[in-house]
Amino acid sequence: MSFFYSDIKSEIEIDYNELVLDINKIDNYSLYLISTNYYDIFKTIILSLINDSELILLDYDFSENEINNLLGDKVNLKKKIHLQKPKFNNFSEIISLIKNSNNWRLSLFTSGTTGLPKQIKHTFNSLTRNCKTSNKHHNNIWGYAYNPTHMAGIQVFFQAILNQNSIIRLFNLNQAQIFDSIQKYQITNISATPSFFRLFSFDKTKLDSVRRLTLGGEKFDVNLKDKLKNLFPNSKLLNVYASTEAGSIFASDGEIFTINKNYLNYIKIVDNEIYLHKEILGEGTENKLLRNWYPTGDIVDVIEISPLKFKFSSRKNEMINVGGYKVNPNEIEEILLTIDGVKDVIVFGKQNSVLGNIICTNIAVDKQLEVPTIRAYLSKYLQNYKIPRIITFVDKIEKTRTGKKKR
Amino acid sequence: MDKKILKIINEIKLNKGEDELLFISENDLLREDIGLDSFDLAELTVHIEVEFDIDIFNDGNITSIQDIYKKLK
Repeated sequence: MSFFYSDIKSEIEIDYNELVLDINKIDNYSLYLISTNYYDIFKTIILSLINDSELILLDYDFSENEINNLLGDKVNLKKKIHLQKPKFNNFSEIISLIKNSNNWRLSLFTSGTTGLPKQIKHTFNSLTRNCKTSNKHHNNIWGYAYNPTHMAGIQVFFQAILNQNSIIRLFNLNQAQIFDSIQKYQITNISATPSFFRLFSFDKTKLDSVRRLTLGGEKFDVNLKDKLKNLFPNSKLLNVYASTEAGSIFASDGEIFTINKNYLNYIKIVDNEIYLHKEILGEGTENKLLRNWYPTGDIVDVIEISPLKFKFSSRKNEMINVGGYKVNPNEIEEILLTIDGVKDVIVFGKQNSVLGNIICTNIAVDKQLEVPTIRAYLSKYLQNYKIPRIITFVDKIEKTRTGKKKR
Repeated sequence: MDKKILKIINEIKLNKGEDELLFISENDLLREDIGLDSFDLAELTVHIEVEFDIDIFNDGNITSIQDIYKKLK
């Protein structure tokens, strides 16, 4: 029996039989799941699917304030859902059942373009649309290099469990632990952001077991391609485009994308911006639609019109991509402005060799403030990746001729 | 140079609400020994670039204090 999940940091090894036994023992789950334990998160997703009911995944580092803003302060975070389920003999029985989970909804949160993060509800179909299941995939062993409460992590999870593959944690481990895990478990597939690999020390090490390497979440990094090819000499590299609204949509072996035939009618490019049809979106995007089309804010350079070929160039809105996390500068500015002594602020991204971009802020103050005080204040309201790392005190914030801030 | 690097690292640690280091040694690993995460390393590379005009992480391969010194020499 193959492993379901293994994590050298938490020293957990669970095989699919143990998972089934564990599931048989449990009679409820938390509707609002906040956990740092990946196994708990995975198990709860499966339990909610078996029960065909809702699950809301929250990042463990959301502050109380962020949760109140997202869900309202009257929400009962301890709410339990009682399960009605048969006893299962094996995981295949569970898979057969969850494929019919038509009422199941999984809520994820994505950085909103106007201010607050927004809640997007996904169905089983929308999340597994691109999963491939066959005997060919049966022996895959997944290196799990994403946050399990975000879209990309959820997609890797489904790709793995639908084929009863092993999931080996790599996210938030150091390089030695990552390499050890890849070798120990003979990992064959890794899906990650370019930032996940960017800090690796590339020496002569070769990790031969990896056959498929998928990069996503950030603009493709051409410099990284050769280094990864050396580290994983037997791997085929794939670059994917995915969004929290729609999941993974395009894939390419470099930075130039073409559209899969199945999606031809659901994707269009208007003024170099990608639009997605509502048919392929999760719930929660309805009010952003323009005649059934969702403007993604992703700007591309069209290389060939027919067949369509393009590469990503930038974001239309002001979102800053920090190591694969999208950060909205307006959200941070709003909180900075509530600090006593802060007159005006501007938050912007600066290109960075470690994370793609780093969050910076210029702050105009009318009394003396210290950087640690500001950082400590922000950490009460914002997740760590949203907190500006370069804070500069200035006399005034420059504006453009139309009165907008110059980011 | 050593003192400048120590000062930069301590500024990052103080900003996170952690204690200052009294000294660093060449063999210290940035993550394991000094306790910097990838956000701290992103900050470190900005401060070093301001001070020395070199983007030390430009081609990866920086894991220890020694690696930083090599880049700056």
